[in-house]
Formats: sequence, C-alpha cells, structure tokens
Amino acid sequence: MNAIFTVVFIASMIALAFIAPDKLLPSLLGGAESAAQMALTLFCIYAVWMGLSNLAEKSGLSRGAAKMLKPLTRRIFKTQNDAAGENLAMNLSCNLLGLGGAATPYAVKAIGELEKENNSFAQKLLFVINATSVQILPTTVIALRASAGSISASDIFLPSLICTAVSTFTGVLLFVITQKIGGRRKKWR
Amino acid sequence: MALIIPVIFIAVFIFAVIKKVNVYESFTDGIQSALKFTISLLPCLAAIFMMCALFEASHLSDGLTKLLSPVFGFLGIPPELTKLVLIKPFSGSGSLAYLNEIITTYGADSYIARCACVCFGSSETVFYISAVYFAGMKVKKLAAPIACVLIATFLSTIIACLVCRVM
Repeated sequence: MNAIFTVVFIASMIALAFIAPDKLLPSLLGGAESAAQMALTLFCIYAVWMGLSNLAEKSGLSRGAAKMLKPLTRRIFKTQNDAAGENLAMNLSCNLLGLGGAATPYAVKAIGELEKENNSFAQKLLFVINATSVQILPTTVIALRASAGSISASDIFLPSLICTAVSTFTGVLLFVITQKIGGRRKKWR
Repeated sequence: MALIIPVIFIAVFIFAVIKKVNVYESFTDGIQSALKFTISLLPCLAAIFMMCALFEASHLSDGLTKLLSPVFGFLGIPPELTKLVLIKPFSGSGSLAYLNEIITTYGADSYIARCACVCFGSSETVFYISAVYFAGMKVKKLAAPIACVLIATFLSTIIACLVCRVM
C-alpha cells in the first residue's frame, strides 16, 4: 500500500503541477472533505450494526451462533480461539446478507484475536474471503437500480451470485496455492 | 427478501429482553465502539481520498482509462466500465459515484449499467480492506494475498460482462 500510495501521489502531483498547479490544494482539501463525509456515513452504518451486534453479544446470541459454526471455522481457519471463531462467524454471516459495512468491524476484531495466536494464515485467508466479496444479496446495488427506475431491479441477483462465487473460489484457490509454494520454499532453506 | 432485516432486528431485541439484558445500555455501548472504530479509520480514509482526488484532478486516471480501454475491449469489458473497474479496489465511494453516473447516463436496464452493477456488487475495495484489516498488525507479506484477490476480481469482471450478455 505504501508503495502504491507514494507512487500515485507523487506522479499525480507532478502531472498536476504541469497542467493546473492552482488545483493541487483544492483537490487535497476536497479529498479530505469527502473522507470526512465518508467517515460520517460509515459511522451511521456502524452505529446501527455495532449497536445491534453488541446486543446480540450481551444476550449470548452470537456465542450460540458461533458455537454452531465452530467446527466449520475451526477447520477452515485452523484456530482454537473461541473469541476469534465468534467474530469470524459473525463476519461471514453479515457478508452473506450483503451487509459489507457491518461485516468489517467483526473482521477487524477477528484479525486482532488471530494475531494473539500468530495465525497469519487465517488472517490472510479471512482477508481474501472478504476482499473477493462473498455476498448472496447485493442490497446496495439493488436499491440503487430501483431508485433509478429499473423495471426489475433484482434481475442482477443471479449474475452477481455467479460472479461472486467465481471470484471467491478463484481467490481462495490462488491463495492456498501461493501459501503452499511459500511453505515449500521455507522447508528448502 | 425485504423482510430479512426487520426479522433480524426484532429477533435480536426480543431475545435480549428474554435474557434480561439492559437493552439501552448494551446498544449504546455498541455505538460507543462504533465511534472509536470510525475515528481509528479516519486517518487512512483521509490519505486515500486525497490520493484519489489528486489522481482524478491530474487527468492521470483519464490517461490510464484511454490506455487500457483497448485491452479491456479485447477481454469483453466495455470501455465505459474501465474507470469503475480501476477505482473499485481503492475506493468504495469513488466507485459508487462512477456507478451512479453510469446508471443515470445509460439507464438502469441497459447492458452497460447491468454489467456495472454486477461488477460493483461482486467485488470489494481490496486496498481499503487490506489497510483497515491489517492496520497495527504484525502480519507481513501481504503482496501475495492482494495479488490473488486482484486476479480473482478481474476474472469475475470478465465473467460478469459475459454473463450479462445472456442473462
């Protein structure tokens, strides 16, 4: 991220200095402003979902759900940590419902828990699963299409399902392959 | 489908009442952690958004779009989608802005707009997620997982454009 950020930032600044030097400061400020707006939007989403999830946590509901999913999370993520398993289960269920924003806090918590066991495989696997998008119901897109006057806003459901399945499957497959190759290299040394 | 969310909320609240949890306090506590979480995100967000704004303003993104359109066209991705596909890994709100633009320009039921919707819905903001997930962690060597995700996302984009032609 550091490399990409630095390269894009410097290249853009140089290009901008040639075509419109007076636009540099306004675009930086504009960027920060939209970041602030974004943070506000995110806070609203998180406030709703983290409020709800805290309620589910305190009442023992999420622990129950995690217990049911525990054999699965244990096998996939190779973790013994119960708190990690709980957050993993909640992250995956939010993702499947198309609530990507709600899924993020759980993923961050799960990654923090996995850090305690030095389980970088599980941390990266969780990232790959989340970053390739595993949603069944693309709620945002359907809402957007409906508001733009689409005749059948939800007819993208099936194509989306196919694509997200393909991307997650490919991503996990490639990741496992790269991990295997990396593991072998370590053994040779 | 619209009932999913109300059902989840009602179920969680009623279950909490049965378990004699202090509903108001727990809910507020959750929001408290949401606030902390949002604030911890703000520095990353601000930096990335500034980068995106510069990238747009310097016309480098237009140049890149022009450069890549023939390649994308060869793979069956309409050139109108180039910017959306390129910005999506970096910024959710940036890609949402492009998606909205595509929907209003071409109409919600056009091939381009449906394609754009499927691409948007079946991909994630890869770099943003990697920044948020691994902020403050000791994990290293993230290049391989990120590359895997980007390849998988690109493949699903090609398939999205293909699938939207027939469905």
